[in-house]
Amino acid sequence: MIEYGAIYPELILILFAVAIPALHMAIKSSRTLASISLVSIIASAGMVIYYMLDGYPVIIGDPASPLIVFDALAAVFSLVFLGVALVVVLASARYVESDRHLAEYYTLTLMATAGMMLVASAQDLLIIYVGIEIASMATYALVAFRKKDKRGAEAAVKYVIIGGLSSALALYGISLLYGVAGTSSLIGINEALAAQGVDLATLMALGLLLAGFGFKIAIAPFHMWAPDVYEGAPTPISAFLAAGSKKMGVVVLFKVFLVGLIAIKADWDIVVGIVAILTMTIGNVVALSQTNMKRMLAYSSIAQAGYMLMAIPLATVAGMGDFATGAGIFHVITHAFMKSGAFIVVAALAYVAIGESIADYKGLAKRAPLIAFSMAVFMFALAGIPPLSGFMSKVVLISASIEAAEVTQWMLWLGVALVLNSALSLYYYIRVIKYMYVDEGDSKDRIKVPATLAAAIVICLVATVALGFLWDPVLEFCVEAAGTLF
Amino acid sequence: MFENIPILSLLILFPLVGAIAVFMMGRSPKASKYTALIFSAIPLALSILVLTQFSLNTGAEEYLGNFQFVEKYQWISFLGIDYHLGIDGISITMVLLSTLLVFLAVIFSWNVEDRLHQYMGLLLVLEVGILGVFMSLDYFVFYIFWEVVLIPMYFLIAIWGGSNRAYASIKFFIYTHVASLAMLLGIFALFFTTAPELQAQGLIATDAIGTFDMLLISEVAGNLGTALQFAIFGALFFGFIVKMPMVPFHTWLPDAHVQAPTAGSVLLAGLLLKMGSYGIIRICLPTLPDAAVDFQIIMVIIGVVSMIYGALASLAQTDLKKMVAYSSISHMGIVMLGIATLTELGIAAAVFQMFAHGLITAVLFMVCGMFQYGVGTREIPLLGGLAPKIPIISTVMMMGFMASLGLPGMVGFLAEFMVFTSTFDTWGLWVFVPVASVALTAAYYLWAMQRSIFGDLTDRVNLSRLRDAYWFETIPLVVLLGLIILFGIWPAYVLDLITPTIPLVFSGVI
Repeated sequence: MIEYGAIYPELILILFAVAIPALHMAIKSSRTLASISLVSIIASAGMVIYYMLDGYPVIIGDPASPLIVFDALAAVFSLVFLGVALVVVLASARYVESDRHLAEYYTLTLMATAGMMLVASAQDLLIIYVGIEIASMATYALVAFRKKDKRGAEAAVKYVIIGGLSSALALYGISLLYGVAGTSSLIGINEALAAQGVDLATLMALGLLLAGFGFKIAIAPFHMWAPDVYEGAPTPISAFLAAGSKKMGVVVLFKVFLVGLIAIKADWDIVVGIVAILTMTIGNVVALSQTNMKRMLAYSSIAQAGYMLMAIPLATVAGMGDFATGAGIFHVITHAFMKSGAFIVVAALAYVAIGESIADYKGLAKRAPLIAFSMAVFMFALAGIPPLSGFMSKVVLISASIEAAEVTQWMLWLGVALVLNSALSLYYYIRVIKYMYVDEGDSKDRIKVPATLAAAIVICLVATVALGFLWDPVLEFCVEAAGTLF
Repeated sequence: MFENIPILSLLILFPLVGAIAVFMMGRSPKASKYTALIFSAIPLALSILVLTQFSLNTGAEEYLGNFQFVEKYQWISFLGIDYHLGIDGISITMVLLSTLLVFLAVIFSWNVEDRLHQYMGLLLVLEVGILGVFMSLDYFVFYIFWEVVLIPMYFLIAIWGGSNRAYASIKFFIYTHVASLAMLLGIFALFFTTAPELQAQGLIATDAIGTFDMLLISEVAGNLGTALQFAIFGALFFGFIVKMPMVPFHTWLPDAHVQAPTAGSVLLAGLLLKMGSYGIIRICLPTLPDAAVDFQIIMVIIGVVSMIYGALASLAQTDLKKMVAYSSISHMGIVMLGIATLTELGIAAAVFQMFAHGLITAVLFMVCGMFQYGVGTREIPLLGGLAPKIPIISTVMMMGFMASLGLPGMVGFLAEFMVFTSTFDTWGLWVFVPVASVALTAAYYLWAMQRSIFGDLTDRVNLSRLRDAYWFETIPLVVLLGLIILFGIWPAYVLDLITPTIPLVFSGVI
């Protein structure tokens, strides 16, 4: 009898995801359905925390080439995904309440979260692929949720086409690797590559995987779709994509490169390093000229993905694996909260009919002091101003880069690029604050934001501030989680 | 007396609590300003209390043992970060200056109308950051406080500033933040490169990644390779001179000052600029003495260039406040020159000049603020003959200008004199190059005074709305001018704090 403990957290979500449309027959209230979704998310998180405290469940599959392993890494990413899902569902309760298909909305959100969590615990390329597809299919539909909205429909079409293309590329890469290594297990692939070295097919597979997964997390030069999709999607879903779905891509890259392809690291470390620098630079430079909040946040997400990607080449340095990957994971966590917070502020303001252009935020500090303050905190955190969480995670990444540079000199440039990019990005983050606090708006009426949206914002705010002070245990746990990769 | 009381933490905590309380008092401006007054008076009282308990001679033989009121708690063991505070003779002068100026700035801002509670709250947050910088003995904590200072100052300029405030505030933020990032790289380089040596000497555990402790790092940083020391010194130094600011990284300062509200300008020039020179004195010189010697010529050149360029630029200004802003660059150049002599007298003089400039420049910016609100303009060509109409403002302006141009008997004279004496000791007659700037200083102050308050009464401003100083403007100015004269006549009150510390801190360079 196979033990399925490793996928209980996902199963809880899927169970509720299936039940919600049925419940919708009887329950019409968006709030109640949202509460039910929240219950499932909290139950699933409870399961994850239970595993963390009480020991991890047995693996699924042959121990030599496991399929699913619920370990510390899976736990930390699962909690990130669940945290983001929690905030997104809270923010959505009012956002979709007038929609006929609101049950599907919650179902799809839970399914997507389950898919992402599956990816975090998968140890086999095929399971990873299945997880990605579960999450992607659900998010395609979520982006298209406002099907009458032309921009939303356009964004969804773009997203589906790019998503399909990237899946095809990744699948092609996976099949080539399977051909070379004779297995789709990450550990098995690594052993095979260590034994037989690199040939053309492996390099092709490497390129295809980087491109395929690169499209998913929108790293340069595969990032073009992201701003259009984030702009067109319902705003809570933009938050979900930027803070959740993107992190799924990051964990895939961590796993594929640092477990599956670590044996041939000499062939890819500098490529990934260059892609990271390119991604952060392009993201920040283009963000400078954006006038739409959601597009600006999208480009900022691209830049931030570059920071996370930095961890991969740094982790190839001997003895640095745990710390560098842990630094990357820590940035994943801090970014999840600051970015979803920022998107939900946009959503909350859109709900009270304030536009999505940055200029629409003029004079906001007087109209909605708490919202403006939260947004200012998110912006400062994203820019990396201490003592907020975004500063701490960047600091850890910089310190990892300087430490790695003692062995491999060019890696110092990753840290320098991060520093220069932080300076560059400050301009567009602070511009938002300027509009909110300095400029006078046309209207002076107070804004009242629905309680659920405010709650979601406050959760992100508290996490963003608290992680700036209490990051010692979190970082230590990230490093421990990273340790499972090596 | 304070063995069991974490008095330095209380110094930081009171303004912080006060700031939070004030922020919540949006409905009642009156309550918020009295609360701000109380919560800025408490740190002042505490710092005076610290002064009474401060021992001038600790008997310590070296840098490490010389700190008093030390508090050290482990914060992030994983990265060797401690919450580590302590003060010596150099920092206590800066702490006293900070608590005094913030207290006076709060009084001076008594009639701010727009969002008063936020204004007062930000002044208190600023105090938190500034005091933290002057008391931290851990690089990481130091950096956090250093950056915390930026946020309230950004908002002070951005919300209460002049017509071009958006540009000025963003420029201020970006300039100083970029410089801080260079500093951060330098700090990390120190962190990683000193770790093996610290482990070998048994100063940190063998399995520790490193430590951010300033004092421990200064023990071993001198053993690093010459090129590495030079590079790290350069990164830190860059971070500090942008803040000071030194030519050619000074351009943010006139913009920020002209746009900032009066209290913002007072604290910007009085305290924020001092953070830069304090950084050089607290971090660069004791930690990397060999590199400091290599950098001596660079320090002299940028110091002297800043003095002369700042003075020449002041001469060309028509806006009173912009003139004072450029004069700050010139006077911070004197601080840099004092540091660059790398002598006991020179560095003591630099610290003394920091203290003196803090007092004097506060007077000058308050005068500019009174011109703005009492007369309606700061443009010198529009003024003239105002002395009989606004006697208090004119008297204070005259005394402030005299103090700033170095009139004997006032605190600025002594500080400048000490710097020039040590310059003469080190470089002989080259001292005439920087001394030339003093002549220029006298020129722009006297000329500005002549045109604005003496001569024929102007008809280019609306004289019917002229008003002299209010009580809440007069009190801070009287206090400051009293101190300027007091320390001008008995400089020993301050110098006795500073001088015993100097040989211990800078044993590597002098």
